[in-house]
Amino acid sequence: MQQLKANLIEHIKTSFKDARVQDYPDENRLDFYVNKQCIPSILTYAKDRLGYIHLSHIAIVDWLEEGEFELIYIIWSPEEKIKMFVRTRLDRENPVIANIDMIWRQANTYEREFREMYGIQFQGLEAPEEFILEDWNGPPPMRRDFDTEAYANETFFHRPGREDALDVREEIIKRSREEIPEFAKKYSR
Amino acid sequence: MINDKNSQKIVDIIQNWSRKHSIWVLAYGTGCGAIEIPPTMTSRYDAERLGVRGAATPRQADVLLITGYLTTKTLKRVIRVYEQMQDPKYVIGFGSCTINGGMYYDSYNTIKVLDKYLPVDVYINGCMPRPESVLAGFGKLQELIGDGKANGADKYKENLDWYRANQKKIIPNWVMPEYNW
Amino acid sequence: MREKATTLYFGPQHPGITGNMMVRVKVEGDTIVKATTEVGYLHRAFEKLQEKRNWLQSFTMMCRFCVPETDPMEESYSRAVEAIEGREVPERAKYIRVMVLELARLASFMLWYGGQNGSLGLYTMGQWSVGDRNYILDLFEELTGGRVYHMYIWPGGVRRDLPKGFEQKVLKTLDYLENRLNDYDDLMFDNAIFKKRTQGVGIVDKGKAIEHGVVGAVLRGCGIKSDIRIDDPYEVYDKLDFEVPTAEGGDIWARALVRRQEARQSIRIIRQAIADMPGGSFYNKIPNPQKWTIPKGDAYVRTESVRGEIGMYIASDGGTMPRRVHLRGAAYVHGITLLEDVLMGENIADISAIMNSLGTCPPEIER
Repeated sequence: MQQLKANLIEHIKTSFKDARVQDYPDENRLDFYVNKQCIPSILTYAKDRLGYIHLSHIAIVDWLEEGEFELIYIIWSPEEKIKMFVRTRLDRENPVIANIDMIWRQANTYEREFREMYGIQFQGLEAPEEFILEDWNGPPPMRRDFDTEAYANETFFHRPGREDALDVREEIIKRSREEIPEFAKKYSR
Repeated sequence: MINDKNSQKIVDIIQNWSRKHSIWVLAYGTGCGAIEIPPTMTSRYDAERLGVRGAATPRQADVLLITGYLTTKTLKRVIRVYEQMQDPKYVIGFGSCTINGGMYYDSYNTIKVLDKYLPVDVYINGCMPRPESVLAGFGKLQELIGDGKANGADKYKENLDWYRANQKKIIPNWVMPEYNW
Repeated sequence: MREKATTLYFGPQHPGITGNMMVRVKVEGDTIVKATTEVGYLHRAFEKLQEKRNWLQSFTMMCRFCVPETDPMEESYSRAVEAIEGREVPERAKYIRVMVLELARLASFMLWYGGQNGSLGLYTMGQWSVGDRNYILDLFEELTGGRVYHMYIWPGGVRRDLPKGFEQKVLKTLDYLENRLNDYDDLMFDNAIFKKRTQGVGIVDKGKAIEHGVVGAVLRGCGIKSDIRIDDPYEVYDKLDFEVPTAEGGDIWARALVRRQEARQSIRIIRQAIADMPGGSFYNKIPNPQKWTIPKGDAYVRTESVRGEIGMYIASDGGTMPRRVHLRGAAYVHGITLLEDVLMGENIADISAIMNSLGTCPPEIER
């Protein structure tokens, strides 16, 4: 396993010199931090030459405090059995990155969802505008600065509470002073 | 022509008795709770002995079973389906998400109280309800039909403006036909 | 002479589709020319809600992601949280987890039998298999308290130990179910109508399968042997002995043959897990949930469910609430790009059978 990981690091470092590597010794996982311009070429290289043919997931995290989005492409090789994470950062004010659905066809679905939910522009993506939400005219909803509870309170009705609303803890204390049968004594307060 | 109150009462009793023993449910699984409908309809908790069976289209169905939460996109289709059904028709709210929003109380896409958008006759609570609870809910609906008290459809026709105002508040793109029966 | 093209909505209210989604098809006569999937009728924004609840509260939301089979979601969440924190799970808990996962797989197979045959017109099978599934749900009710939503596998182990005499009940149910599987074979696989309607229909191309991201039983039906329980083993699957069946052809018949063998392998795994189960503790106790923090880091784990591979990515920033929980179900790739490709050139009458065979479950797609 360590030998396979060392070979992989060497292959990637010869072609992409400014990729940063992080190794996880106990698991079969290897992380590479690259710039966003290298993403199509490093993924094509890994798929055609190194045998990483299965795209497992594209994950996204919103780091609001640092002002960046992080995109993580997770690819898997059935022969070497190593998970490779290719990570890149996008600027939050103007997020633009290239489209990869000519490499793997399933990336089309991920990119449509990120375009709708986070507002990221993918250059060259051809797909209908609406995917999950219909007639939505607010900000992209999955961003961290969109407050979903305030929106729900404003748009929808809520059912009011009961008029004889009792306090749960006081009732439990009151009822635990009644006679408890023997088998239930270990469950009461 | 026999048109006095007593014979009207006899006709009502026979009509209600025959309606309550044959309730056809529309085949539409709108949410989570649709996973407990196949066990209710098959061999162990047989619902067909009560006269309950599935119907394929809205024109042939009596009951609309809203199984769980509703999003705004589904609500638009459910309203259209409800208005296509013929009288007499009933609505059953299934699960605790139709009562007060359930565990998605702060989501931006689900509705919280079903009563403001469609008239509901019977609620079944639970998350999710057991097949025995579902059969008890149908039993309660049968009781209401027998007494002549299940009149959600009449309430909808009388207060149509109020229901429409609530529905249009959350569905901005209203492209539905007029309701005229 | 070509016929005029019409657009039909195979819509949300339909007795033949597997859930609340829509497929818009353009047909010429009886043949499909273009298909578009539309989802979004079940979107609750789970991942947004989980950023406001602490680690144990967001665990209770995990089982509601995909309703026919609820245990793999809880298991992937627990394993990811344990991977970030570095928490050890006792041996007995791992064997109990394997037993519960395989029982959930069997129950989901029973539901698939009913759905696939109902779409072709054989309604007897649905009555038999959904009725037998109730016996497995009785076992779950005794163990965890609920028939459908269990909330039993949580970070650190399992929630409570097996009751006294539980293993004998499980073995008795398995003997009964093994006999019933032979009855299902006689009804379904020796049936001339089933063979004629499923051979050569809904073919997934072997050369393009990996590019579309196909996983699970669909990939095994094309002839490629791939299973997460053997490639990337988790819990105690590397100590148990079982086979992974494959079939050639890539049509609905091949996938049905693969699933028929997998049901028997599940029964074999449960019998071994019960025989090898050690004693000991079943839970590694977590601290006070209101103040439980996980250190900064992230993890990605994969589980094999009935439909394919479930991937769960969790990122933590050192607080009491998760920063990001991002889940990918198997139907995410099978339901949209693959379905639109497979439906070209098929008959309208086969849409329902193809959707049931690929395993498109809409709550997984839009969460």
